[in-house]
Amino acid sequence: MATDAQRSQATGQTDDLLRTVDEEELKPVHVWPRLVSVELIGALVMTLLLSIMAIFVRAPFYRMADPELTPNPSKAPWYFLGLQELLLHMHPALAGVIVPGAVLVLLGAIPYIDRSKKGTGIWFYSKKGVPITIFSAIYTTIWNLGLIFVDEWLPAGDSAGIAPWLKMHGFSDAFAEIFVPIVFMTFIPFSLWVIVRRRWQADIRECMIAMYTFFLASFFVLTIIGTAFRGEGMALVWPWEIPYPPHGKE
Amino acid sequence: MRGIGPLCGEGVIGMPHGAKVWQGGLGCEMSVWKYITQSRFWKSIYRNPYPRDRRTRAMVVLNSLALHLHPVRVPVRATRITYTWGLGGLATWTFVLLTLTGVFLMWYYIPTTEDAYWTIVKLETGVMFGSFLRNMHRWAAHAMVIAVILHMTRVFYTGAYKPPRDFNWVIGVSLLLVTLLLSFSGYLLPWDQLAYWAISVGMEMGGATPLIGKQVRMALLGGFEIGQQTLIRWYTLHVIFLPLSTILLMATHFWRVRKDGNISTPVYEDDDEEKRRAVERRRQARG
Ligand code: HEM
Repeated sequence: MATDAQRSQATGQTDDLLRTVDEEELKPVHVWPRLVSVELIGALVMTLLLSIMAIFVRAPFYRMADPELTPNPSKAPWYFLGLQELLLHMHPALAGVIVPGAVLVLLGAIPYIDRSKKGTGIWFYSKKGVPITIFSAIYTTIWNLGLIFVDEWLPAGDSAGIAPWLKMHGFSDAFAEIFVPIVFMTFIPFSLWVIVRRRWQADIRECMIAMYTFFLASFFVLTIIGTAFRGEGMALVWPWEIPYPPHGKE
Repeated sequence: MRGIGPLCGEGVIGMPHGAKVWQGGLGCEMSVWKYITQSRFWKSIYRNPYPRDRRTRAMVVLNSLALHLHPVRVPVRATRITYTWGLGGLATWTFVLLTLTGVFLMWYYIPTTEDAYWTIVKLETGVMFGSFLRNMHRWAAHAMVIAVILHMTRVFYTGAYKPPRDFNWVIGVSLLLVTLLLSFSGYLLPWDQLAYWAISVGMEMGGATPLIGKQVRMALLGGFEIGQQTLIRWYTLHVIFLPLSTILLMATHFWRVRKDGNISTPVYEDDDEEKRRAVERRRQARG
């Protein structure tokens, strides 16, 4: 099967792979009323939905803080549960500080790595953009889930997991908890980059799409696992097995 | 249609004196409305008539503080929901809602370890709309985090971070960080089990910082354990420092959107490619 990329390489025309936007769409219109009305409706709908939610769903409020009584499970707010999930798999300095720090720096660096202006303002850039996004999301999800399962269930003497298994076989703590996780966390995006370049002849922007999708899919998978599949002792369980309200909170 | 009154201001504000449009059943109300909109006071607020034509539609944007963040005209696609999904605007709006409900919460909340919890109990049981506004504050906070993450994702997949918008993307990443910190710092304030233990998970993470872990923990806690010092630190961050930072960053963010040529429009060629083609075209023209 000849991919678009192979075909376009043969003809030397890469440009017609770029998605295009209808000229009609570029005609100027007045902000008042065209945009202002959309904004007003958006704000009203948002306010309405939040009000309905505020009427029917109570914000959580448990018993008074008690330093003596640790809830089980004890969780951060949902947007940090991805990091808390990482915490189960690696050294806390890595999960709690270095990874989030690196994520922020790398996110900020995106426009300085992908510097061409081509594709600005075009959803998914080229005809390869959507397939690359879907592939990257699936690839990342499989890796994430696979590693989570192995780290949960790989038997290692009395306990289970990749780090305990390595330590059982005589590797140092630093190797098991720092080096190996770093290798995985760099190998997954790196291999994705290589695959996308080979399979789709991806240019820098398309590789960037793969990298951002890797970030987003990892965030999703880790957050969902951390929120809905971690119960007492942060063991992997079904959502309905998580004690609610958590022990020690009610 | 005639009866809808002020909603149809369109017919009134811009009308020449004595126009006969509103002589319907609600004539009386209409003349009150007209009286108001033609008063000196009203006109001192709204300098221009209701925008109905090219000139007044431009004027309304240029003459209003809130609207002048916009250009006068934008490409049709910039107004399409499916381009921006309005997410930056929704993030802004949730921030406004959070500020309003937050001020209300501040009237009742006392940031001490003895009182904090009980002020929330009182707010929920004994204050009119107390429960509603606290719920609203909480859900709007989650909504803002979601809106910001989705907005970033929209900007990424539309390639809207490319030059000249590269630095605005960086400002955006800072906005993401302060949004998360705002939400997280508010989490501790109710001083219940959820708050206390969520924050202690966070503190353990911060304490794991290589080399300066102890100092970071100390700075976040204001002591060796979560207590009064921690509460007052996170309270001041939550109600003063972080909101002000957010406002400052948002102002810069919006200003940059304008300076960078408004909402992104399609670019099909690289600078380099463009130059190469221009050279080629010239060469061909010469024959
Ligand atoms: C509190 C958080 C934020 C607010 C209130 C905000 C608000 C806005 C608004 C109102 C716009 C106009 C277009 C639109 O609505 O899409 C915009 C554009 C933009 N934002 Fe944000 N934003 C925030 C966070 C971010 C983040 C996290 C990023 C990226 C990391 C970002 C990057 C950009 C860029 C590059 C543009 C220009 C897009 C274009 O021209 O198409 N912003 N922002």
